[in-house]
Amino acid sequence: MRGAEPALLRLAGAGWSAGGRSILGPIDLEVGRGECLVVVGPNGAGKTTLLRLVSGLLEPAPGAIFWQHTRLAALGRRQLARRIAYVPQLRPSRIPLSVAQLVLLGRYPHMARFQLAPGRSDFAAVGRALRRVGLEALRDRPVDQLSGGERQSVFIAAALAQEAELLVLDEPTTHLDPSHQREIARLIRSFNRDLGRTVLAATHDLNFASLIADRVVALRAGEILACEPPASAMRPELLERLFDAPFEIVRGGARPMTMLELADP
Amino acid sequence: MRASGAWVALSAAVWLAALVAIPFLGVEVIRPADLLGGDPTAAVVFWQLRLPRVLLGLLAGGALAISGAGLQTLFRNPLAEPYTLGVASGAALGAVVAQQFAPPSAELAIPVVFVAAFAGAAAVTLFLLMLARGRFGFETATLLLAGIAITLSCSAVILLLQYLADFTRTFRMVRWMMGGLAVVGYREVIWAAPWVLAGGAVLFSQRWTLNQLLAGEELASSRGVDLRRLRLWVLGVTSAMVGALVAVTGPIGFVGLIVPHILRRVTGHDHGYLLPACLLGGGAFLAFSDLAARVVMAPAELPVGVLTALLGGPFFLWLLIARRS
Repeated sequence: MRGAEPALLRLAGAGWSAGGRSILGPIDLEVGRGECLVVVGPNGAGKTTLLRLVSGLLEPAPGAIFWQHTRLAALGRRQLARRIAYVPQLRPSRIPLSVAQLVLLGRYPHMARFQLAPGRSDFAAVGRALRRVGLEALRDRPVDQLSGGERQSVFIAAALAQEAELLVLDEPTTHLDPSHQREIARLIRSFNRDLGRTVLAATHDLNFASLIADRVVALRAGEILACEPPASAMRPELLERLFDAPFEIVRGGARPMTMLELADP
Repeated sequence: MRASGAWVALSAAVWLAALVAIPFLGVEVIRPADLLGGDPTAAVVFWQLRLPRVLLGLLAGGALAISGAGLQTLFRNPLAEPYTLGVASGAALGAVVAQQFAPPSAELAIPVVFVAAFAGAAAVTLFLLMLARGRFGFETATLLLAGIAITLSCSAVILLLQYLADFTRTFRMVRWMMGGLAVVGYREVIWAAPWVLAGGAVLFSQRWTLNQLLAGEELASSRGVDLRRLRLWVLGVTSAMVGALVAVTGPIGFVGLIVPHILRRVTGHDHGYLLPACLLGGGAFLAFSDLAARVVMAPAELPVGVLTALLGGPFFLWLLIARRS
């Protein structure tokens, strides 16, 4: 698909089930280096499960996931964490750390097991990550005193400090107001375009997906219905099949905008 | 972070002050001149009674405080500590069972009591882990209720054993259950020191990993933390330390609750600072508490476990109430 270079990440018949019920797949999916792939789908479609499989928190059964030529399961936990950074949606409601301390946690996979203290390169990475998300001024502020949007930026900064090739984000804009949604979208885009890193995100916000994605993966009941650029993925019949609700396209083009239709068609 | 370092240094200073000053203090104050002047009574009291007692207090307090700090992070629960989780009660039950089956005249060797106490502590710990693996998870209420249930059950069995035991044994058990540092010579200190130092070193080596837990298990494990291994390490090490100490001092409660809670407020939650501060501050806290217990009802001596329980009970209640608001 992308010439001789193997996909950065490849799911080969990967699936997951819990309590005898299949949650995801088996699915096949390739993520190319430098790509921004966004998974959309209704609640319970298996989006989070897919991201947890990719982040190595779950092991696929059946199937396998490959990082280039290597199985994820064959990589050590820290090796994996140096390649893939995960920003989960569910996090403790109270975190007793300052902004800089929380971002420094992202350096864990880079630190030697018996390292006495974080090194100069760790603090440099924290500084770069905070500058990129524009929160240097808040570095000593307790995380618990931040707004929802700032909190999300700090967790993304922690993932940036992890200096991984692939950034995995679960519902990065849920509960955020439009201006903070925009902020997060710009952050993800700059990580993707300026730094050339790869992004895999999950959301049920179609317009957010359309704004940032190179390709949109439509996931429903653990199955991939389509995997296409936004321009073709955002078509009413696919979206209706995906969410069991009628949509209209209010703006076309490369990044179409959609809207729920309340009246029956 | 500079302030956190300063608090660790202050803990170290208080620790040193406890070590140097407390052996001189008591109902009978020993003046340095007496000691240097070769007063034989002063020398015996200083070297054989007070100094070993202070050293044991420094070790036991430090071990209880770092155990509490580690368990609180592991269970993500500020009320967790060996005493409230029932781990200390399990250790006490193990030790009492061992004493019950010993010949009435003989003092049991420390390692025998330790193995029994460790088995008790480990059994409770494993039970808590199984409970947490089930559908309850590490939920605060469940965990504390389980701790209370375990403590009550262990106390009931201990009472039964005391009821069945003869008078000498009963007296010894009751006295031991109060938790105290009254030792003569260095046998107990030499026993406890390696456990505390090794346990402290292991916990300290896990400080970055423990920090990861502050941002949640999902993030921690996505960054390469092996949660199963971490749990085994922390629980194993705290069980061993608590078992080793309960075998010589009896159960001493609430040090593991009070000390980490207060120190966390000044050093912050970073375990690189919190754990050393707890090891030093907890030791100093118990040593000074023991000094107070020795003089407050003079000429009678209060077991220090009674004093820490008197302080700790209300403190625990206050924490429970303050957390709600």
